[in-house]
Amino acid sequence: MWLPVLGLIIGVLLGFLTDFSIPVEYSDYLSIAILAALDTLFGGIRAHLQNIYDEKVFVSGFFFNILLAASLAFLGVHLGVDLYLAAVFAFGVRLFQNIAVIRRILITKWSAKE
Amino acid sequence: MGKKSISLTFITLIVGFMLAIQFQSVQEPVVRDTRDTWQLREDLQKEKDLQARLIREIRSNEEKLAQYETERKQSKEEALRNTLNELKEEVGLTDVTGPGVKLYIDKVNEGLYLENVEASISPDSLKRLLNEINMYGAKHVSVGGQRVINTTVIREIAGETKINGRSLKSFPIEILIVTEDFQTAKKLANRMEVSEVAEEFFIDNLTVNVLKPEMKITVPAYEDVIRVRNIEAVKSE
Repeated sequence: MWLPVLGLIIGVLLGFLTDFSIPVEYSDYLSIAILAALDTLFGGIRAHLQNIYDEKVFVSGFFFNILLAASLAFLGVHLGVDLYLAAVFAFGVRLFQNIAVIRRILITKWSAKE
Repeated sequence: MGKKSISLTFITLIVGFMLAIQFQSVQEPVVRDTRDTWQLREDLQKEKDLQARLIREIRSNEEKLAQYETERKQSKEEALRNTLNELKEEVGLTDVTGPGVKLYIDKVNEGLYLENVEASISPDSLKRLLNEINMYGAKHVSVGGQRVINTTVIREIAGETKINGRSLKSFPIEILIVTEDFQTAKKLANRMEVSEVAEEFFIDNLTVNVLKPEMKITVPAYEDVIRVRNIEAVKSE
């Protein structure tokens, strides 16, 4: 269970150590991609806790969500509509829901232990 | 369990990487400008001083440059060089471009005769033609690519007419004339049209064609070295 956390830390270190920064005009895409990735990650944790975790769904959802969010932002830029806000909204709501579900599950587990 | 956590680790690694990069990209302008009005004024003052100093420097340099330029212009060396260039142009050691006229000396239309026409230009008629051209105001002349200068010799050597030692065999022979101005060029062209000397070329089965005067004709420079014999510099006391 500690391996994913270790992966996160290694990723962050790698990102900071490479001294690699993307141009400002693309930072929108990256932020939306990060949001999608976080959403999928928390969705995966929730599914894991609910024992309905499917690896194929998780991995495919991760990449598919990132691509979808980035292409939505791209489309928004070219249409002149801030479509990435839609992605931010959708992923934000789902993020909160997932975290709420995780919290509840953890609380019920914790109270069941007592 | 192992495979599951490996894929999860991989994905968290990607997420962490993206997060770090986003952090770096967004937090780029770390240094904030915290100067107040007085500090800004002082800095502005400093920059202005620098600007003024630079302008002063540029001005002094430009003055120096202009000074050198005038000194150079007024110097003896420049005067000598100018004279040398003028002399070179006068003698014919430089290419000269100006308004002028083109003449072509060509064989008579061969359709007039049944047999093939032997045509060769005679030095006498060419000399007369050049005399006439000079009379009508030509300044610089070249014949068949050879510049005509004061010491140019036109003569027959072993049956071939030569100018500056080069044969005039291939027809048409081009004569380039540069005059003082376009008006002179026009007059010269008109005079050459009715010139009798040009008529006399017909004896040698040749015709002289006068083209319309042009604004830009370039006469080539004299190719060889001018050897000065029998001339000595006057010794001044």
